[in-house]
Amino acid sequence: MPDRTKRDARHQPEAVRRAIRTELAADDIAKRAERAKHPRAARDPSIPVVALDHVSLGFDVPILEDISFRTLAGHTLCIVGESGTGKSTILKLILRLLVPDAGRVLIDGEDITPLSFEEALIVRQKMGMVFQGAALFDSMTVFENVAYPLREHTDLGEDEIEDRVREKLTFVDLDPDRVMEQLPSELSGGMRKRVGVARGMANNPEIMLYDEPTSGLDPLTTATITQLIMKLQRELGVTSLVVSHDIRSVFRMASQVALLQNRRIVFCGTPEEMTASEDSYIRDFLGGA
Amino acid sequence: MPALLTRLNDAAKGKVLTLQEYFILAGKSLRFIFARPFYGQDVVQQMDEIGVKSLGIVLLTGLFTGMVLALQSSVQLKTFGATMYIGNLVSASMIRELGPVLAGLMVAGRVGSGIAAQLGSMRVTEQIDALNTLGTDPIKKLVTPRVLAALIMVPVLTIVSDFVGIIGGNIISSVVVGLPSGQYWRTVWEQLASDGFVFRYIPNDFVQGLSKPLVFGAIISITACYFGLGTTGGTEGVGQSTTKTVVTASILILVVDYFITQLLLSVLTYA
Repeated sequence: MPDRTKRDARHQPEAVRRAIRTELAADDIAKRAERAKHPRAARDPSIPVVALDHVSLGFDVPILEDISFRTLAGHTLCIVGESGTGKSTILKLILRLLVPDAGRVLIDGEDITPLSFEEALIVRQKMGMVFQGAALFDSMTVFENVAYPLREHTDLGEDEIEDRVREKLTFVDLDPDRVMEQLPSELSGGMRKRVGVARGMANNPEIMLYDEPTSGLDPLTTATITQLIMKLQRELGVTSLVVSHDIRSVFRMASQVALLQNRRIVFCGTPEEMTASEDSYIRDFLGGA
Repeated sequence: MPALLTRLNDAAKGKVLTLQEYFILAGKSLRFIFARPFYGQDVVQQMDEIGVKSLGIVLLTGLFTGMVLALQSSVQLKTFGATMYIGNLVSASMIRELGPVLAGLMVAGRVGSGIAAQLGSMRVTEQIDALNTLGTDPIKKLVTPRVLAALIMVPVLTIVSDFVGIIGGNIISSVVVGLPSGQYWRTVWEQLASDGFVFRYIPNDFVQGLSKPLVFGAIISITACYFGLGTTGGTEGVGQSTTKTVVTASILILVVDYFITQLLLSVLTYA
């Protein structure tokens, strides 16, 4: 793993690395100043960025029961399991698109379950989400899609927004001059996913959520997207939660893996612990995958 | 029997819940007209979509409705030797009823279905969820601009429809019936003046003719957004949402039209 990290870092264009460093240094000054006033400013590294505490949810039938896990800053938690076990629902709970029937969802130690709809919109600005089908706004160009969160939530001028969009598109290995004026319908599946990542990270979120980021992609594009998620975690220190069926990708990028079975988490640990597990379901799941 | 009662109870609860959601959406979308951020560009874009692009269909329906109204009334009025009153009849019918209702129905068919299909597609492709995750209220971004644009453009389209309908009546009364244009327009004005005024200068017919499309605009846009945002079940669900929108909005327009007429007739003083 460390060898691969070094190799990727060597291949990283100097311009992009410089852009990222500049961005981290300059762009977030205002945000950091804001955070400094916040009681969470002196964040204890042991406080999880995202935590679910005995969460249960059901509509007509139970969907999730007694779900608990915690993700520390800069870590990547991958949620795996059979189809229909409620993996994507967990992401919706973290985004507070859904409210649990019981338990708490904590972001930076703050329980977001009692928040109002308007308050939840503010909390969501800390997060970037990449949807299964990318969910790009099809009436907008690639540029407008990536610029959207910047226009909505920052006071950046048009020139600064364009610079930022170019940086993000370059970060996800897309040529800004080629794709910026294209509509999502003109892009391939892999390119749409990458634009989705660029849009998700446009506002420099602390947390990135991915819903099946590699589904429906060919093996090469799958590897590219996986590397992109790793790059984001490695170079920007983003905390990531990934819902995926793709075990190979999961094992490459995960710090922790949570396995869902029958609405419950039956395993939560490192990939190494998972492969070493003697549990018959885990062995069947890994064997099948 | 208890099972039947339970089913009836559940159905009634479902209907009440639907109504509640509909009115919450209506209330929020209207409240957000005055709340920041303002999506002015989206409002202008929707005004173009709802108003300018509906102009053709509204012009055609207005023109031919006025023409057929003049034609039918000329046959009846001829038996009483009263063809000079065609102008009165056409203007009263167009301004009070047919202009607003027909423009409303046309916009419900053309625009309502379009809005429902667009928002429905956005729902099934997770674009609405994406808006939410990007910290944007979908009602503020998608519903309010459409409601505001409809509130402005449906009355404008109605005025166009009324005017073109009266011109259609003029064409038939002069070409088919042989009534001089001057006399036709004099009777049109007489009709407006004879029905009384609000604040001394605004004809009562205008109040009736313009308050209705305002309500119809709200009905069309809110109904379309309600069904569009509530779409489930993929592309089939999008189709169902568009159908529900057109049917519900059309029925609501006709039913609400009756009650507004009843209300205004009791409030406004007609000569």
